[in-house]
Amino acid sequence: MTSTEDSQKALGYYKHVSLFWTDLLSLMSSRPHSLTATGPLRKLGVNAKKISAEMIEINEQLVEFNNRLTEYYKQLANTWNEAQQQFSKKVPEIPTDAEHIDSSKRIWIDIFENYFTRLFDSTEFAENFGKLVSSELELANHWKNVTSLMLETINMPTKKEIDEIYKELHSMRKRIAKLEKIATSGVTENGK
Amino acid sequence: MASELRIDPKILEEFLQMNKNIFEAPKLVAAPDEISMEMTPSDVVYSEGKMRLLHFNSSVPKQVRTPVLIAYAVINRYHILDIHPQKSWIKNLLEQGLDVYLIDWGTPTEMDRYLGFDDYVNGYMDNCVDFVLNETAVDKLSVQGYCTGGTLSTVYASLHPEKVKNLVLTAPVIDGSRDSTVVANLAKHIDVDKMVDTIGNVPPEFMYYMFSILKPFEQGLEKYVQFFKNIHNKDYVENFIRVEKWLSDTPPIPGELYREWVKNVYQDNLLIKNQMYVANRHIDLKNISMPLITQVAVGDHLVSPECSMPIHYAVSTDDKTMRVYATGHVGMIASSFSQKKVLPELGQWLKERSEK
Repeated sequence: MTSTEDSQKALGYYKHVSLFWTDLLSLMSSRPHSLTATGPLRKLGVNAKKISAEMIEINEQLVEFNNRLTEYYKQLANTWNEAQQQFSKKVPEIPTDAEHIDSSKRIWIDIFENYFTRLFDSTEFAENFGKLVSSELELANHWKNVTSLMLETINMPTKKEIDEIYKELHSMRKRIAKLEKIATSGVTENGK
Repeated sequence: MASELRIDPKILEEFLQMNKNIFEAPKLVAAPDEISMEMTPSDVVYSEGKMRLLHFNSSVPKQVRTPVLIAYAVINRYHILDIHPQKSWIKNLLEQGLDVYLIDWGTPTEMDRYLGFDDYVNGYMDNCVDFVLNETAVDKLSVQGYCTGGTLSTVYASLHPEKVKNLVLTAPVIDGSRDSTVVANLAKHIDVDKMVDTIGNVPPEFMYYMFSILKPFEQGLEKYVQFFKNIHNKDYVENFIRVEKWLSDTPPIPGELYREWVKNVYQDNLLIKNQMYVANRHIDLKNISMPLITQVAVGDHLVSPECSMPIHYAVSTDDKTMRVYATGHVGMIASSFSQKKVLPELGQWLKERSEK
């Protein structure tokens, strides 16, 4: 068994134990808690399980994010080293007097620009960048879910609910604009 | 044994001068937020949501009746077209006797995350066109689109050809598969659905990242060295600060618009393949039967010429012109070169094809 499989197994077990006890404690304490049904505490108790699951998944996702970020910095560092080596080869050919200081700077910029543009143009960089952004978005999603659960606890609108309103507003605006056009031109939607 | 460090006195002198310039800079240069952009006076003649339609005031009599409506890009702001009185695209067109309107898309907020191509083209743009046609009492107008505004203008001209007399596309984003820029490379590998579903509007910071990988050493380092080196050159410094102010001010992009953009233009490349749909309406580039001028810059590292040029071959009009300029994306619209070469040619082209 590889170390990745080991850590996956350990994480899975930790997740199971954590969910088991939060579930059980929630069931065991549901009666006394119902006394506080009108306040946020009861809801927080129910949501605690979901929050705990989200936090575990955040940890899992952090591993993927860190891997992608490491690869990203590795690509940058390797390219920097290659460009620096190329520049070092050129150094002996460049005169060191003041008149040539600008031209040596120009050579340095051109070499680094070429190496880095080649990196940013490569499929390897773009693929890792895409996955890095995706893993960051996964993290953002988990944070959003945790925040939503906290907001639900205190009966505040969540991002999802606000988005639903925005979507509804957008569709209503379109409909109103269409109706206004029909009213102005004096024709129906069927063109009659 | 005594060691001796030998430094060329000229290098030392340059180093000390640079330090002096850096120290003096705040006394010589206004901060970007303090400068006045001296923009061409305009009136907001129509607005809808965050979008505003500007009509520029001119002291020169109009030479033609057909007005020009500029659809600026959705990235950064329209100020680059009016960056300095001596380099202003708008002022130049006015001085050539043209009547100029411009769409400022404004700053979308989270509330605008569901705005897409349909809202921009068949909503905002079409309403602006109707307003201008009504106000100027003409049947058709000239539409100019810059950068991503060029894509919107292309889609508009395909869907509403009866309202467009002339189409001007300046560095338009058309064929993503041929775009050889680093931005296009990254756009092809992004999970755009996940991005929009998670964050809604695309934040300015993400766009700044995209800009930062374009010539990182030239733009991120050398540019600033040159700025401090030229700190006593008033024109250089003034121009630098204005462009920097413009570069650092980009609004968020509505999520749905970004999603459609990346998918239709960069990932699936549907626009140039004549397979793109907006609100269930087919974008047939053969509908573009009005005179067309496409302006591209060989040094454009944001929208490569290969990305823009295919539009010239995809349309049905016989009256089409392609101009290739030896400059860059911004140089084509806001430079002494554009004043001397690009704009006189455009003004002439427009006047020859406009209602007198």
